[in-house]
Amino acid sequence: MSAGLRRLYRSVFRVGWPRTPKQRLQAMLSSLLLHLHPTRVRVHVLRPSYTLGLGLASFFLFAVLTVTGLALMLYYVPHPGGAYRSMLDLRYAVAFGPFLRNAHRWAAHGMVAVVFLHMCRVFFTGAYKPPREFNWVIGVLLLLLTLALSFTGYLLPWDQLAFWAITVGTSIVAYFPLLGPQVRYLLLGGYEIGQAALLRFYVLHCLILPLAMAGLVALHFWRVRKDGGLSAPAHASERRVMAWPHLVLRELLVLVVVLVLVNAFAVAVNAPLEDIADATRTPNPAKAPWYFLGLQELVHYGAIFGGVAVPTALVLALLLLPYVDTDPRGVGLWFSPERRAANALFACLALAVVAVTVIGTFFRGPNWAWVVPWAR
Amino acid sequence: MTPHDPVPEPPETTPRRRFLALAGATALVAAGLGLLATLLRSVVPEVLYEPARRFPVGRPADFPPGSVTFVGERRLFVFNTPAGFYSVSAVCTHLGCNVAHQEGRGFACPCHGSTFDEEGRVRKGPAAWPLPRYAMSVSRRGELVVDTRRTVGPGFRLRA
Repeated sequence: MSAGLRRLYRSVFRVGWPRTPKQRLQAMLSSLLLHLHPTRVRVHVLRPSYTLGLGLASFFLFAVLTVTGLALMLYYVPHPGGAYRSMLDLRYAVAFGPFLRNAHRWAAHGMVAVVFLHMCRVFFTGAYKPPREFNWVIGVLLLLLTLALSFTGYLLPWDQLAFWAITVGTSIVAYFPLLGPQVRYLLLGGYEIGQAALLRFYVLHCLILPLAMAGLVALHFWRVRKDGGLSAPAHASERRVMAWPHLVLRELLVLVVVLVLVNAFAVAVNAPLEDIADATRTPNPAKAPWYFLGLQELVHYGAIFGGVAVPTALVLALLLLPYVDTDPRGVGLWFSPERRAANALFACLALAVVAVTVIGTFFRGPNWAWVVPWAR
Repeated sequence: MTPHDPVPEPPETTPRRRFLALAGATALVAAGLGLLATLLRSVVPEVLYEPARRFPVGRPADFPPGSVTFVGERRLFVFNTPAGFYSVSAVCTHLGCNVAHQEGRGFACPCHGSTFDEEGRVRKGPAAWPLPRYAMSVSRRGELVVDTRRTVGPGFRLRA
């Protein structure tokens, strides 16, 4: 490398390519991206079978969504007359338009699933116990933000799927006691889903919610460091290894897996697009996106019960959990025998969520009547 | 100043300093709350660009005797019975989907399976409330007018 290039490289990265232990420490400390990490990591938390890389995968999916979302914004027009036309443009008149939309769609679906699995991982390893209670609360808020982002994004294509899913979703909002109808009015910018609602969902989806997400993600990561790194059992080995390269390489591996999967799905499966939104024609059955079909299944039994009581109780239970269950035993191990009751209870709830989602997705046909998917 | 100079002690608080500090804190809180209130109030729309709530749906002759007509853009049904006209909302009171009319058997909602009778009364849940029946009148130009701001009882019939 010539002296000039070397000087340029040094002006950007400050330290040379990390080879000696000192350079590896310096590399972690002197880079904006890397300094979020510790310089040395406990061996316990590096095992892929402990974290499954799910939190990191959620973050990478969020990054993919930000990048593809910005590209989509260049073509998207948040107006009832233009929104659906932009979808058709993306399909027929934009270079790699279908790929962009597919990647955004499947990364969004993937993020909902991965964030949910990440929460399950944290529960089953008891990682929410003190001193990590507050970071669990932030995690619950991040799950809710992920769902809100999915929901607001769902209206934007302005097709039949979008219109009726949002009709059902915002009607559930109106059932909330006291302020429900007012919040719905505020969300829609009126009484009907039209121009005002589309613009509000667009601004929420592209700016307000992602900014809130970015802020909370930063706080979430920062708290991991401040709470003493990822959770580990009290008796686990204190042995640490250098973050460069052991942690950095593993993180890059998660990134590769995420990118390959998103690319594969985006190439193989097209995002659905139905007819343009039509308030006079309700499709039968009208279904919400799959991650809300469990909610829709519950709502079928009664809107207050399914749309208000159950979700509110679930969210409150999640938020309060780390302040109720403070027993320090069984932290840092999957399915620790000391946490059998808690794990069993959570597994039942998680399975119930999965079960109602599967029922709503596959076992409900026209007029929300019971159908058996394999008996055609 | 050398590194070993002691940090200067904060000056003693005097009534004047305390007053200024309180005034400053009050101004900060008031300005912050005021800004927040302005912001929140501004997102509540004052003017809606939505269709009128009272509108003509057509001439009586447009609705053949004994017919049930779905007026799509208004999301309601107009019945022409031997006793007169009446109108029922097509918006399911459960979660806002359009109900479908089934000849002589009332209404069914495709979203969550609620059913209603010909007058809009709930036959089977999850819907908890009946479909609203809207007040109707005849305009001076002889058109049937529906007023969605006013609901009427099951017996309502308009002679026209």
